[in-house]
Amino acid sequence: MSALLRRLLVYLLAAWVALTVSFLLPRVVPGNPVAGAVARASQSGNCNEQCVIAIETQLGFNVHQSLWDQYVNYWENLLHGNLGHSWSENAPVSNLILSYLPWTLALLGVATTTSFVAGSMIGTLVAWRRGSLFDWLIPVATFFQALPYFFLAIVLVLIFGQTGTMLKWFPSLFGYDIFGAEPGFNLPFVESVLAHGILPAVTVILASIAGFILAMRNQMITTLDDDFVLVAEAKGLPTRTVIWYAARNALLPVVSNFTIAISLVVAGQILVEIVFNYPGIGYHLYDALGKLDYSLVQGIFVVITLVVLAANLLADAVYVAIDPRARQAA
Amino acid sequence: MTIDSTTIAQAEPTFQRSHTVRLPRSPKVIGGAVIVAIFGLFAAIGRWVAPYSPDATDTKNWVQHVLVPGTGPGTEFPANYYPLPLGPSAAHWLGTTVFAQDVFSQLVTSTQATLFVGLLAAAIATGLSIFFGVTAGYIGGGTDEGLSLVANVFLAIPGLPLLIVLADYVPYAGSSVILVAVIIAVTAWAYSARVLRAQTLSLRNRDFVEAARVSGEGRLRIIVAEVLPNLIPIVAASFLYTTLYAIYAYVAISFLGLGGSPTSSPPGLWNWGEMLREGFANNAVRGGWWWWWAPPGVCVAALGTGLALLNFGLDEFINPRLRIAGFTGKAARKAGINSRTATVITPVMRKSAIPPTGAMPADAVLEIRGLTVDYGYGEDAVHAVSDCDLVLRRGKVLGLAGESGSGKTTLALAAVRLLRPPAVITAGAVRFRSPKGVVDMLDATQPQLRAVRWSEIAVVLQSSLNALNPVTSVGAQFDDLLRAHRPLLGRSGRADRAGELLKMVGINPDRLRSYPHELSGGMRQRAMIAMALALDPQVVILDEPTTALDVVTQREIIEELIGLRDRLGFAALFITHDLSLLVEIADEIAVMYAGRVMERAPAASLFHAPRLPYTHGLLHCFPPLHGRRAPMEGIPGSPPDLRDLPTGCAFHPRCRWALEQCRTQVPQLSLVDGSRREVACWLHDGGQTVPDELARRDPMLVAQ
Repeated sequence: MSALLRRLLVYLLAAWVALTVSFLLPRVVPGNPVAGAVARASQSGNCNEQCVIAIETQLGFNVHQSLWDQYVNYWENLLHGNLGHSWSENAPVSNLILSYLPWTLALLGVATTTSFVAGSMIGTLVAWRRGSLFDWLIPVATFFQALPYFFLAIVLVLIFGQTGTMLKWFPSLFGYDIFGAEPGFNLPFVESVLAHGILPAVTVILASIAGFILAMRNQMITTLDDDFVLVAEAKGLPTRTVIWYAARNALLPVVSNFTIAISLVVAGQILVEIVFNYPGIGYHLYDALGKLDYSLVQGIFVVITLVVLAANLLADAVYVAIDPRARQAA
Repeated sequence: MTIDSTTIAQAEPTFQRSHTVRLPRSPKVIGGAVIVAIFGLFAAIGRWVAPYSPDATDTKNWVQHVLVPGTGPGTEFPANYYPLPLGPSAAHWLGTTVFAQDVFSQLVTSTQATLFVGLLAAAIATGLSIFFGVTAGYIGGGTDEGLSLVANVFLAIPGLPLLIVLADYVPYAGSSVILVAVIIAVTAWAYSARVLRAQTLSLRNRDFVEAARVSGEGRLRIIVAEVLPNLIPIVAASFLYTTLYAIYAYVAISFLGLGGSPTSSPPGLWNWGEMLREGFANNAVRGGWWWWWAPPGVCVAALGTGLALLNFGLDEFINPRLRIAGFTGKAARKAGINSRTATVITPVMRKSAIPPTGAMPADAVLEIRGLTVDYGYGEDAVHAVSDCDLVLRRGKVLGLAGESGSGKTTLALAAVRLLRPPAVITAGAVRFRSPKGVVDMLDATQPQLRAVRWSEIAVVLQSSLNALNPVTSVGAQFDDLLRAHRPLLGRSGRADRAGELLKMVGINPDRLRSYPHELSGGMRQRAMIAMALALDPQVVILDEPTTALDVVTQREIIEELIGLRDRLGFAALFITHDLSLLVEIADEIAVMYAGRVMERAPAASLFHAPRLPYTHGLLHCFPPLHGRRAPMEGIPGSPPDLRDLPTGCAFHPRCRWALEQCRTQVPQLSLVDGSRREVACWLHDGGQTVPDELARRDPMLVAQ
């Protein structure tokens, strides 16, 4: 079986596990989650009788059906793109998620790409100039890697955000100017979206770049010890070419570990969106949790999982493209 | 004559790496340990040193209320007040929350739950990963496939969203730190399991595990007694990493309000995430009350940095290559060596390099005088090569022979400055005669070296699989080389030349499109040889070019090399442990032992009439296929430890003719039998009776 097909199988299996967990959790977890949800809801005081009924129906607790029939039903719905109904927004979950997703994907795409490219380049440089002043980047990067995304977001809001107290340079609330711009393809809206995206993107980049720098640096240092780098030097190739030889090879394990990296970035971004009230799926997950909108929570979980799996598949395809040995196996 | 290279260990031991077997005591590791220890201390005693209860409201000082605009006197609404937190003061070191609770007390109390969840989750996750990883790796087969699949599936599902859903559904999960830890562990074990599986897989086939299996030990016993102890560094690293992840995860779900709030029922525990959540939810950021939300965030980052720094130390322990990177910096500067980049230039200790004196011999292309090379600096230095003299003459082949670790490769690569730090040249002089004039190799700058490298001195290493860049095609590597050195050649000119070169070594030019892994070992080595000859160099250094190949291919390549040398007339420094091979190809042979050149003679003289006991031993390691039958003797004992060389002649413990003098005095190379050969051995100082084995008639003398 080819390597890429094998990975695809793993991802399909992972998707199935995620969907099944999402189905099973409200049904098999000990203690009636409806009761728990209602208890919590009434405690916070914002759940009326209607909300209780809503929770019951959403959770799909149909006592007249066997678990298996419910499961078959669940899949039928899924395959029709039906993720249930959100009571808090009074709209189909799938439609809601489709409207949240572009925000998240754009932010994630821009930030991860920038972070990966810049991080790998900086990591390469730090490894090449080891023993120089660049080594100071290592403890600094370690510290940044250790900063929780949302804490960094709060700090950036405080310093640069218009809702902060210091410089007030960039907008730091919502995905666009909800009072001044009309959503659509018009200049003020696009400008506003870009301006509102700066701080969230910078947060995700700053928080994730350290990981790529350190990973690339460690791989580079290991690769620089390889014979082919020695031979490249012995050949009198220009420094640029020697670094490129090593970097191309060092990049391979970094790309193959992208799975872990992307999971962490997505997790971080969920929290960043919350801090900025950025209208992506992360923020709405938080919102839905607060409103006890379970079908929305489940739907978002499923979609986030699928997005991450797609990103993994993309990384695998890139890996196959840049490693001739994997290309042969694929 | 046959070539049998199995009698002598083939790989040069990388003794510079097995040097330290203790945890590196770098500032990074010490800093990390201190940070983690401080937090550990607070976690242990925090509850008792906190000045206040984390929930207590300081009603006495809580007076700074602010009127909400648009309420109170003069408006139609009754007065409404904002609570305002107190800033840092002597009573409250880190100020208070809007509820007038002491932030410092909350912070100190929170440390305990946060660290507890982190460590417990990491312990559970590590247990799971050891179980899955080691079982899969050791048992293999279907079990491995199944368990690896489970791990890969868990790895692909994003952790935090799964955690959120789990924590949200499991009733009152947040109120039980143990339940939280279990849920975090479920989302965190897969990565470590994958790493441990790979490591177990490689351990499974090691000799000691094999031996335990053969001796009939049970599977479980082997795993516990043989495999696990060797996994400890990796298990420790993944434990640290998982602790870090678990603390983030706990802080994150607490920030989302799923980690259990102390104010909910049943109450959860104070933790850093909960503090951040309260601060964020109560507008601490907009209010500018940094003392409330900043400390828990800084604590997460500081503890995370501490754990990451410790992990750095472990990484350097597991992957020694990373350690060397740290090693070069300070120690090298102390020794007066500048190694700012990873560029391969063997550093030369400035204080001891002596400028070459006198004229180079007229027919010499490469002259090495008194070259001494150490690995490491200062007291830890290992003397790999000591005071070696060699002269490579134009168009001649100089053979360099000796056992593994005798310093052959070190000597050759150091002479052309291709040895990496921590190797350092501490004494000697090396001159190369290029057509443009004599180059002092130890004084040459990087551009000067670059001009000489490959266009004048090319290198073929032992393992060609590693010598070719694995991710680009052979053709592209020819292209890079020719573009760098023959800028006037166009794209098609370069391709033509590359094809020509491949044809010269008997490879179809179509192979230019192949990647290194698509070629056989012999083909790769031929391609390397073609590449070495691409620029018509004066000198080719051949470092065991055939050792990694099978006997038939060895033969073919040696014949190819002899033919090419006769045609192209380059001089070669041929390094091998196989003396019988050298006799065919070399004009002159130098034998090295423990970093010194011990005998040097014309090839035939050395082969048929060795003067050095060690050479005699080497020659009798290989059975000659034809000619006189001779008993196989070999050399008793094993190559010396360079860190702890015997006194006097380093060979004396293994020498059956050793004299009293050999134990105390180092013999110097001196002429014997006229002016053509030299040996460093007290037996030949003129005052001794030379054993018959070492006094055979020199065939070269007979020929004269």
